[in-house]
Parts: sequence; structure tokens; C-alpha cells
Amino acid sequence: MTATLFIERPSGLHALNPLTKLTLALGAVVAAAALETLPSVLAVYLLVLVPLAAWAQILPRFLRTCVRVVWPFALSLFPIQGLFAEGTHILFSLGPFSLKAEGLRIAAFLTVRLLVGLGAATLLMLTTRPDHLMQSLVQRGFPGQLAYIVVTALQIIPGFQARAQAILDSQRSRGLETEGGPVRRIRALAPLVSPLLLGSLMDLEERAIALEARAFNHPGTKTSLTELHDGRAEPAVRMLLLVLILGIVALRFV
Amino acid sequence: MIEVRGLTFTYSGTDTPALQGIDLSIPEGQLCAVVGANGAGKSTLCYALTGFVPHFFHGEMHGQVSVGGRTVATTALADLAGEIGLVFQNPFSQISGARYTVREEIAFGLENLGIPRAEMPERIGEAVELTGLSGLEERSPYALSGGQQQRLAIASMIVMRPRILVLDEPTSQLDPAGSKEVFAALRALAAGRNTTVVLVEHKLEWVAAFADRVVVLAGGRLIADGPPAQVLAAADLEQHGVGRTRYTLAARQAQARRLRPPSADLPVTLDQAREFFR
Amino acid sequence: MNLRLEDVSFTYPSGVTALEHVSLTVREGEAVALVGENGAGKTTLAKHLNGLLRPTHGGVWVGDQDTRRHSVARLARSVAFVFQNPDEQLFERTVRAEVGFGPRNFGAGPAEIEARVQAALSRLELQDFADRHPYDLHLSQRKRVAMAAALAMDTPILVLDEPTIGQDAGGVALVGGLVESLKAEGRTLVAITHDVDFCAEHFERVVVMADGRLLADGPAGEVLAQGDLLAEAAVEQPQLVRLAAALGWRETPLTVEAFVDLLAARRKDGT
Repeated sequence: MTATLFIERPSGLHALNPLTKLTLALGAVVAAAALETLPSVLAVYLLVLVPLAAWAQILPRFLRTCVRVVWPFALSLFPIQGLFAEGTHILFSLGPFSLKAEGLRIAAFLTVRLLVGLGAATLLMLTTRPDHLMQSLVQRGFPGQLAYIVVTALQIIPGFQARAQAILDSQRSRGLETEGGPVRRIRALAPLVSPLLLGSLMDLEERAIALEARAFNHPGTKTSLTELHDGRAEPAVRMLLLVLILGIVALRFV
Repeated sequence: MIEVRGLTFTYSGTDTPALQGIDLSIPEGQLCAVVGANGAGKSTLCYALTGFVPHFFHGEMHGQVSVGGRTVATTALADLAGEIGLVFQNPFSQISGARYTVREEIAFGLENLGIPRAEMPERIGEAVELTGLSGLEERSPYALSGGQQQRLAIASMIVMRPRILVLDEPTSQLDPAGSKEVFAALRALAAGRNTTVVLVEHKLEWVAAFADRVVVLAGGRLIADGPPAQVLAAADLEQHGVGRTRYTLAARQAQARRLRPPSADLPVTLDQAREFFR
Repeated sequence: MNLRLEDVSFTYPSGVTALEHVSLTVREGEAVALVGENGAGKTTLAKHLNGLLRPTHGGVWVGDQDTRRHSVARLARSVAFVFQNPDEQLFERTVRAEVGFGPRNFGAGPAEIEARVQAALSRLELQDFADRHPYDLHLSQRKRVAMAAALAMDTPILVLDEPTIGQDAGGVALVGGLVESLKAEGRTLVAITHDVDFCAEHFERVVVMADGRLLADGPAGEVLAQGDLLAEAAVEQPQLVRLAAALGWRETPLTVEAFVDLLAARRKDGT
């Protein structure tokens, strides 16, 4: 009943430390940003991300999610770049509008870059539990309160949806018509939005009290129930990746 | 264990004190029930015993509340956590939302307190057993029933081994079966672990069966204090907005209709009623 | 206006079957209590009564309206539903405005809305809070606001989901009095309640549910006497029924008066 993408699998990638996976994802994103040709960026996707997804035993889900996440961007990139980018190689003309090959090529390149960036993030979320990722970050100095907010937001969103539905049911039961023209739908919002906000605020107060009672603000270092596995080679791998990333950034952008 | 002396509290922005001159002393291991009409100050008392009044809910406070020798008003909430547990009505809003399984949810408080990892499994096991959650350790907290969630809230508190546990109408949203589980867990806690339990409740039959002692609040004041059989049978409960069990009502009517002697003690529980009407 | 469920089964999209072959007719003017443990299907059944849920099998009729053919808002003119959690509906800035929401949706004129709101407020003893913000009130008072809002809809049928939860003794007495006066007006009532004593005192018919099915359906005196059946459904027997059984009586007293009457009768007989 949570909004996480995480899928449990007994794979080697899953067993890696969250920070290692985060660093890998970061590396892929930086590489996609730094490389300058479509084939090279596509190679990152096909030769790095796809094999990792296969190793993680989630390849079908990974590919489906990549498509689902990228195609809305592609849908607007291709027409916009195709019609408005600078170029001379005209493929198709209709009145004042002409579709240029250079534009389509730019769109394709941007789309593949997005594919790698969003694909890396997707791969990370599919193979890493958000609370474990947060735990590893907090252990490195990330603020605990921020980490809490991120993790709970993911769990609370579905609760929000359930509550919104309950509110909708209540108001319909009092004669509120929610079907019909736009004016009616807009007028139907106030009786729906206010209980949602007010209820959530009251919930927040109780939650704040509950957290306080569970020593959330207790001074001193926190411990953790789960030990995050960190393979012997992993710290070195992360260090290497970070050096590579910094190297690429220096070479390409400085 | 709990010492309240002359406690008077008025919430900021209001004129009438929510609590007036409360004197209350609760020993270790006692299960003390607090009853009274809504608005009588029961929730405020819960907050005062756990430090949320005055640290979270601000206002003018006189008198003193101390728990285990520590004065609540001068101890930071963050330092009180772990010593003092609070459970309230809505099981849902007490779930932290930061953990994906019951086991981890229970461990949350221990992690915050910095308890060493090695000590956690035993304490979690204890809490799970006391609250009857065995078998549910790997479930998501959001996949539990209301009664189970409420017991999870209790387990999440008692794992920290607080000296006192304050519960504000914990069974209000639960069905009888769920309520019974909660009361049984509290009984075991007070008797077995010597935890002082303060319980605000409307379900008088349960109070009569499980509580060692009952205090009645009305208009912010403490107007009765004693064993359930005595307090819940007292003559003036109605005017203070406190109800009665049907046993007591039937006995009183029987007395009024001269079917039973007027001097006999009024029954509060089933067993007492059976004796009374034999 | 009758309420009729005919062989209703309902399965949630998640695959959970919450109701199985439930048939129930509530005649005009009846007061029925629905009891059973959490998860037995009581709320699911109740939500069929105003069209919030439509059966996956079988049919539900409110009067002669098939719930599958009418919107919830339309059916709300016949069935007012008071939900367990009042915070899922309260949104207006004053209690008065909140209570008037239903009549406003029905297109009533300002004078009529005012009259209905006043009447509802006084029946729930909320006149002093008419201009307060609902969220300034205690939860039990907010529940009463929700009940007043349902009352103002002036429907022949009312469905109450846990009307006494969180109420203190005064609140329970108020709700009990309200139930009696609604019955006297000839309205049809269906109430889900965990409070069996309240159920015994105010509802002449009791329906016991377990695992999506009806275990029992009959006069309160008969149903509440069946200790084993109730235990199976994880429902307690009313205090006075248990007392009568403990005293070895065969009768099932539902109210304090009835109990004491039985006591008096025995006294007379010299038992």
C-alpha cells in the first residue's frame, strides 16, 4: 500500500549497498550529460543500464517503466524540435510549417539522454528500498528530518488518495453532484479540498505528537535495526566511480 | 511514580482553566482509569502527564507534575520520550510512515533512542508478544486492522520500556474483540512489567473489570478517586456527566421500586450484579 | 419507502469479496441494527443503501429506485448517510453552514434551509455552537454536527455508521433520544453499532453479520439471546441479557425497565 517502485528480488544488484547504486545511477546520468553523440548515449543505456536491469531480474518492468516515463516528453520534443529547430534539410512541408531532419535528430538525441537519466533513476528506485537509501545517506550526514519526510511522503500518498475518495463519498451522499459540466465540477471542489487539507493538518499534529513520543527528537546518534550490507569491494568501487564522474565533469564542463 | 500537585492549566487564548487544582498520586504498576464527560479535561491531563502540556500545547501552568522523580515542566520532551509513552484514539495517525514492516515500525523508537542493535531483537520480541502481534512482524503497518494497528501503537511505545504509559481512549475506534485485546495487553503490562498505566475510557464495564482505580474528572476538577466498585456506584455520577453500567442502573431502579433494600451496595460488574440480584 | 437487497454479492476491485448472497428487506418505519466485528461487511452493506457501492451481483432498491440506475446524489434525497468519521465531510466555516449543505444541494429556498438547520441544531443540542468553526469542536461534537447535517436533509431513511463512538454518557443519551424521536416520526433507520446495549435499547430488529454473510436477522429479543451465535460473530451480548442468563432466567430483557419488571414479576410469584 505504498507508492514505492521497489520490487524485491534475490539479485546481486539488490544486495549492493544503496550508496553504491546511487553512485552508479549518478555516473550514468553524468555520462549521458557529457557524451555528445546519440550512439554513445544510447550505448550507456544499452550496455550499462539494460544489463544491470537484467542482472536485477526486473528487465521487463524496467523497460515498461522507461517507456511510460519517457514517451510524454518524446511526444512534445519531436514536434517542437522538428518544427522550430534551425535547419535546412526539410522533410515535409505544410503551409508555413516545415519539419526538418536536423530538428528530429536533436529531438532523438534529447530523448535518448532523458532515457538514460530517467532510466538510471528508475533502476535505482526499482532495486532500492527508499528507507534503506535514506538510512545510508543519514549515516553519511544527510539531515534525518528531511530523510523522514521523503520516506513518509511515499507511504502517505496512497493514504491521501484513500482519504480523498472517502471525502468524495461523503459529499456525494449529501447531494453533491460531481458529474456534469465543468462549472459543476469546479463548484464541487471546495467541499472536497477543505476536508482533505484540514484533515491532513490535524493528522499532522497527531503525527508530530506521536513522533515526539517515539523519541524522534532525542539527542544523540541514532542506531538502526537493519544492517546495510556493504561488500568489501564496494567502497573502492564507489570511490572509483566518483573519481570518474569528477573527471568527466572536469573534462567536459570546465 | 506519578505525582501531580495542585495542577492548574489554561490553554493559551482561552479564559477557563482546562484543569483546576488536580492532586493525584499514582504508584508504580497501577492501572488507573480516568473517566468523565467530554471536555472535562481528560485529554489535557494525558498531555500534562506526558509533557505535551506545556511543551507542545502552550498555556499558563501552575502546580507540578513529576514522573519518576523528574519534573515534567522543566524536562525537555525529547528527554522524556522513552520514559513516558502516549497512545491516542486514532490508530492510523500513530504509524510513523517511515517503516515498511511491523518489526521495523516497533524498532523505530529504539533507533531514535540510540539503543544498540544487539539489544533490539529481544525487546521487539517482548513487545510483540505482550501485544499479541506474533505472526504479523513482516506485514506492512498499513495492512493491519484497526485493532491490530492500535496494538502496534502500544507495542511501539512499550518497546521503549517506559515507566508510565498514558492512553487516551485507545479503544474508541475498535470493535469489542479489538478492545478486549487492548485491555488484556494493558493489564499484562501493569501487572507483569510494573508499568504505570493511565487509561482514559468511556467503556465503563471494561474499566470496572480491568482498572485498579478510577478517577473522575468534571469541569477540570478531580471529583472522585477510588476503587471502581466504589467510584462507579457513587450517587452523584450523573450530574457530572459520567454514565453507569446497566447493572448499576437496574439495581438502582430495583431499589426505587422497593424490590431490593436501599442500603445495599450498588453493583458495577456482572459478578457483583449476580450477587445483588440473587 | 422500503429498502431491499436481493441476493447481493460484492467483490472489491482488489479481489476481496465483502458480501455474499445477502438478502434483506427493511420496511418503512423499521429501526434495524447491524452488528458484527470489523471486517464482517457491515459498512460495505451500508454503502449499498445509498448507491455508493453497486452490487457485483444482485440488486438494491431504495423504494422503487434501482441503485444502479441513479446517482448517489439523487439517492441522497431518500437516504441520508452519517459516516463514522465526521472529519471526512466537514468543510464549511460554521456549523450552521455545514448543516445547511445538504438542503442547499437539494435546491431548497433560504427560508426553508434556515428552518431545517434550526430544527436540526436544536435536536442535536448544537444551538450554542451554530456560528463556531466545526474543527474548534471536540470530535464527539463534530459527529453530532454530521448527524445534524443528515437530519437537515429530511430524508425518509437514515443510515448511521457508529453513532455513539466517542460519545460520553450525555452524548449517548442524546443520540438515543434522537433515535427514538426519528422512529416516532416514522423514519426508517439502519444503524451500524458496536454498542450492543444501545442496540438492545433502541432497535427492534437486529441483523448479525460475519464474513460477508448474514448470520441472523430477527427481533432483538430473539437474536440477542443467542449467545453462541453472537460469540461466533465476535459480538457481545448486552449486559442485562448476560445478567438474566447468569441468574438462570429464560427471558431476554432489553432495557433496564424490562429487567426490573421481570424482577418484580418474580417477586410476586415468590421466585
